[in-house]
Amino acid sequence: MLTSLTLMDVQNLENGALAAVAGADSADEIERVRVEYLGRKSELKLALRDVRDRESGMALNTLRERLETAIDGREQELRRAELDRQLTQDVLDVTLPGEERRLGSLHPTTLTRRIVEDAFLGLGYEVIDDREVETVHYNFDQLAFPPAHPSRSHRDTFFIDPVRLLRTETSPSQIHVMEGKKPPIYMVSLGRVYRRDAPDATHFPIFHQFEGLAVDRDIKLADLKGTLRHVMRALFGDERQVRFRTHYFPFTEPSIEPDVSCPICDMRGCRMCKYTGWIELGGAGMVNPQVFVNVGIDPEEWTGFAFGCGIERAAQLRHGISEIRPFWENDLRVLRQF
Amino acid sequence: MRVPLSWLGDYVDLDIPLDDLAARLDTSTAVVAGIEHHGVSDDDGNLGLFRVGRVLEAKKHPNADRLQLCVVDVGESEPYQIVCGAWNFGTGATVAVALPGATLPGGLVLERRKLRGEESAGMILSEQELELGQDHTGIIVLDDGEPGTPLGDVLPLQDVVLDLEITGNRPDLLSVYGVAREVAALFRLDLASPPGRDPAPVGNELVDVTIEDFDGCPRYIGRLLRDVRIGPSPLWLRARLDAAGMRPISNVVDATNYVMLGLGNPLHAFDQTTLAGGKIVVRRARPGEKLRTLDGVERDLDPSDLMIADAERSIALAGIMGGEDTEISDQTTEVLLEAANFEPTGLWRTSERMRLRTEGSNRWEKGVDPYLAEQAAAWATELIVSLTGARFVGHTDAKGVLPERPVVRFRPEQASAFLGLEVAAEEQEDILTRLGNERRDGEYVVPTWRARDLVREVDLIEEVARFHLADVPFTLPVRREMYGRLDRAQRVRRRVEDTLASLGFSEVYTPSLVEQDRDERALRLQEPITVELALLRTELLPSLVETARRNAEVGNAPVALFEVARAYLPRGDAELPDERVRVAGVAEGGFLHVKGVVQALLRSLHADASWSRAQHPLLHPGKAAETEAGVVGELHPALLAGVWGAFELDLEELAGAARDPVPYEDVITYPAIHQDIAVSVGEDVEVGALVDAARSAAGPLLREARVFDVYRGEQVGPGKKSAAIHLTFQSPERTLTDEEAAELRGRIVTALAEDFGAELRA
Ligand SMILES: [Zn+2]
Repeated sequence: MLTSLTLMDVQNLENGALAAVAGADSADEIERVRVEYLGRKSELKLALRDVRDRESGMALNTLRERLETAIDGREQELRRAELDRQLTQDVLDVTLPGEERRLGSLHPTTLTRRIVEDAFLGLGYEVIDDREVETVHYNFDQLAFPPAHPSRSHRDTFFIDPVRLLRTETSPSQIHVMEGKKPPIYMVSLGRVYRRDAPDATHFPIFHQFEGLAVDRDIKLADLKGTLRHVMRALFGDERQVRFRTHYFPFTEPSIEPDVSCPICDMRGCRMCKYTGWIELGGAGMVNPQVFVNVGIDPEEWTGFAFGCGIERAAQLRHGISEIRPFWENDLRVLRQF
Repeated sequence: MRVPLSWLGDYVDLDIPLDDLAARLDTSTAVVAGIEHHGVSDDDGNLGLFRVGRVLEAKKHPNADRLQLCVVDVGESEPYQIVCGAWNFGTGATVAVALPGATLPGGLVLERRKLRGEESAGMILSEQELELGQDHTGIIVLDDGEPGTPLGDVLPLQDVVLDLEITGNRPDLLSVYGVAREVAALFRLDLASPPGRDPAPVGNELVDVTIEDFDGCPRYIGRLLRDVRIGPSPLWLRARLDAAGMRPISNVVDATNYVMLGLGNPLHAFDQTTLAGGKIVVRRARPGEKLRTLDGVERDLDPSDLMIADAERSIALAGIMGGEDTEISDQTTEVLLEAANFEPTGLWRTSERMRLRTEGSNRWEKGVDPYLAEQAAAWATELIVSLTGARFVGHTDAKGVLPERPVVRFRPEQASAFLGLEVAAEEQEDILTRLGNERRDGEYVVPTWRARDLVREVDLIEEVARFHLADVPFTLPVRREMYGRLDRAQRVRRRVEDTLASLGFSEVYTPSLVEQDRDERALRLQEPITVELALLRTELLPSLVETARRNAEVGNAPVALFEVARAYLPRGDAELPDERVRVAGVAEGGFLHVKGVVQALLRSLHADASWSRAQHPLLHPGKAAETEAGVVGELHPALLAGVWGAFELDLEELAGAARDPVPYEDVITYPAIHQDIAVSVGEDVEVGALVDAARSAAGPLLREARVFDVYRGEQVGPGKKSAAIHLTFQSPERTLTDEEAAELRGRIVTALAEDFGAELRA
C-alpha cells in the first residue's frame, strides 16, 4: 500500500497541482509550479523515491505524467501568448515596396504571335517558321499571281536580283508545305515579311504576318468564316463580332477581307476604327484551284482556305498602339510596359 | 476610282440611301475608302444663298486700282454692291454670286464688310471657290440667265464622290459606267445603254493604221477629225473631271479623259499634222530608239516596248504615255483619235521598267475589254465634234482575232456546297444573269468585260458568294488526321525568350535590313528604300548595340536587351542564303555577368557547353569566349561607353544541345561527398582547363567540379594564382566510401600536377 501518501493525499495533490497550473499566468510561474510539484524535493518525487509496491508506483507515475502534460501544455500556451504580445510591437510598414527583382519583358509582337500560335495549336494546326529570302517562283508564280500584278513590281517588292526577293507575305511557306506532303494540311506560318513602304509613323517596310492554310475534303467558305472568327476572338475577346467583305487576292478565289468589331471602343467609334466601329484586318479566301494544280494537289478532290494578317497590326489593336513606330524603336520605357 | 454620284446617276437611277449604296458596294464589290461631299454644302438653306446675278454696273474701285466695284442684281428688290478682284467681265455680265451668310466649300463664311472704304455684300465667284475647277484667273461668266435663279440650277454646285478601291481583277469597275452596271446588278435596277452615239462621218478620208504586232495590240481604231478648235472645256465637263480627280487640260484631251473615266478605255489624241507620213504604225521599239514623253523625260526604249509610231519614228509609249512631239497644242486643228486595245503583260513590263504609271497604264495592265474600243471611239468622237466643232472625216478599225466570250460550266449545287450555304438555283441564276452572264444549258457565257476574270466554275461561285457573304454561316472544318504541336525548336525558342525575360532582359525587334555588315558578301537589295535598310544582316549584335546605345542615351538604365531573329548567311551567287535563327543580347555589366546570363540560359535548356577563348571584332580582345552555339563576351570598349556584355547564339545549335526530356538521376538514395581543393598554377592556366582535367581524371563519379575562388597574392607567389575547386563525388548505385573519395581526389591532384604543374595548397 501507499506509504507516505495516501490515496486521498494523491487526489488532493493532483487537485492542488492542477489549480496551480491553471493559475500560473507567466513562464516564471509555471516554472515555479513545475519545481514545486515535480522538482527533486517535491512531495511526489519524494514519495516516488520511497515507493515499494508496484501498484503505488504505477499510480504515482501516472500522476506524474498527467502533471507533466498539464504543465507542458500550460507552458506552451503561455509562451505563445507571450510571443503574440511581443509581435504586437513588431510592426512593419507593409506598404513599403518589396525588394527589387529585375524582370525583363517580351515584345508585344511576341506576345501576339504566341496567342495566334496557341489558338491554332488548339485547332490542330502545325506552326511553321519558314525562310524569308524567297524566289519569284515561290513568292509569286506558284501562288498564281498574274504576270502584271503590282506586287511583282520593284516599287512594291525588295528584289536581290531578278530571281531572289524578300518574301512579301508568308504564303510561300504554304507552297513549301503543300509540295512536301499530301493533304489534309492544317498549318499556320508566322514570320517577317517585306514590302517597299517608306518608313513613317504608321508604316515600316518590315513586319510580321501570320498566315494559315487548311486543305481537306469538303472545306467550305463557312469553315473559313468560323475559323477566322475563332482567331479574332482569341486575339480580341470572345465578344468580338466579325464580318466579311469581297476582295481580291491572286491565290484565293473567292477572296474576302474580315472586319472585326473594334476592340478599342467596342463599336462606339474611336480614332482606331475611324469612327466606323469596324477594323479591317487581314485577308482570306478559298484556295485558288490554280495554286493546287501548281503544287500537284487535285482541286476536284481537295478544297481549302487560306488567310493572313499582320501581327503588329493585331498587337496594335490588342494594346491600343496607334503607330507602328514603337514596334521598331525598342525604347525600354515602352517595352517595360509589357 | 473616284465616282461622282451625279455622273453615276446618268446611267442608273440612284434612288437608294447613300449609306446603303456604300455598304453594299463595300461588302460585295470594292472597299469604299471614302465618301466625299464635294462642293457647296446644302445645310441650313446655304444653297439658297448662291444665285445667278447680273452686273448692272462695274467700275474701278475709287480707292484701289486692282478692284472693281460692282452693282449686281440677284433677283431681289435692291441690287447688291460687291467688290471684286477680277476683270474678266463688265457691265451686263451674268455671274455667279454668293450672298452674305453663305458658306463656301472651303468653309469660309461670307460677311458684309468694307473693302477699302466701300461695302461689299457677298462675292462674285470663281471656279476655284466653288471647287468646280482650278481656274482662279477670273470669275465665272455664265451664259444668259435670269437674275435670282438658284445657282445650283445652272452649275453643278455639289456632288458626292465615292472613293472605291478597285481590285486588280475588276478593271471593268475602273469606269463610272462599269460601277453603274455593278450597282444595277446589286440593287436590281435598270441600266442605261452605254454612253456615246457615234456621229456620222462627213468624209471618207483614209486613216492609215498598220498593226505589226497583234499580240501587243489586238485592235486599233483610228479616227480623223479636222477643223478642231482647241479651247477650254465647258464647266460641266471640267467639274466632273475635277470631281473624279483629273485635271482639266483642253477640250480634246478632256474629252479623251472623260471617256476613259466613263467607260474604262484609255484613249489618246495626236496632232495629225505632226505625224510623219500621216500614218500610225503599232510596232515594237527599234534598238537604240528614244522617245521624249509628255512629261518631258527622254526615254531609252527597249525592243520589247510596244510603241505607236508614224512612218519614221516612235511617237507614243503604247497605252502608257504620248510623246511630246505629237501632243495636242493650242494650235492643233487636225486630230487623230486613238481608241485601241493593248495586251496587259508587256505593257506592264514597260511601265515597270520605266517606273512610269499613268491612269492609262493602270487600266491596261489589268486587262481592258477589247470590245470596248468601238464604244469609246464613238463617244469620244461625239464629244470632240460637239465641243470643238470638228468634222469627223475618217475612220479605220484595224484588228486581229478578238477573243471569244468564255463559256463556263456551272453547277448550283456545287456552289451551295462550296459556300456551306444553301442558295436556291433560281437565285443563283438570277445573280449571274444580272451580272451579264447568259445561261446556255448547264453553262454560262461570260460578258466580254469580265472575260479575263470569269473562266472557271469557281469564278462564277465567287459571284454568288459575294452577293450572299453575310448569309454564309460560321463553322469549323470537320477535321481528319491532324494534330497541332510546337516542335522542339519552337519550344526552345519560347523557353529562351521566357528565360531571358525572367533574367531582366527586354525583348526587342530590330530590322533585318542594315546599312552595313561585316560580311562583304551580305545580300544587297537592288533598290533599297533608304540607305539604312540596304543589306540583309549576317549577325544580330550590331543592331542590338545600336539599340542599347539609343536607350542608354535617353537614360533608360539599366539596359538589358535581347532579340530572337534570323541572320542571313550568303552562300553561292544565285543561291538562297542560309537563314539561321539566332538569339542575341546586350546588357550592362562585365564578362562574368553576361556569361552568367548565358549559363543560366543554357541551364534552363539543360544544355552543356564548353568554352574557349575567342576573337570577335565587336568584343573585347581579351574577354570573349565561344562555344559551338556562338559567342559571349564583353563588348569592345570602343563601341559603347561603360562596361557591357554581349552574346549571340544559334538557336538550332542550342536546341540540339538541349536535353529534352531531362534524364532522371538518383541523387537522393546514396549521399554525395563534398570536398574542396585549392591548387596554385601559372597565371596563364585557364580554370576551365583545370576542371576539364579533373573530370577526365575522376570519371563519372565526379558529379560536379566548380571553381569558386581564384586568389592571387604573396602566399601564392608572383606569376601564379590559386584556384579553389569544389568537388562533389556521387554514385547513383551505391554509397561512396571516404576511401574511394580520397582516391578520386588523389587522382585529380595528380593529374593537375602532371598537366599544369599544379601544387596542392589545401
Ligand atoms: Zn473603335
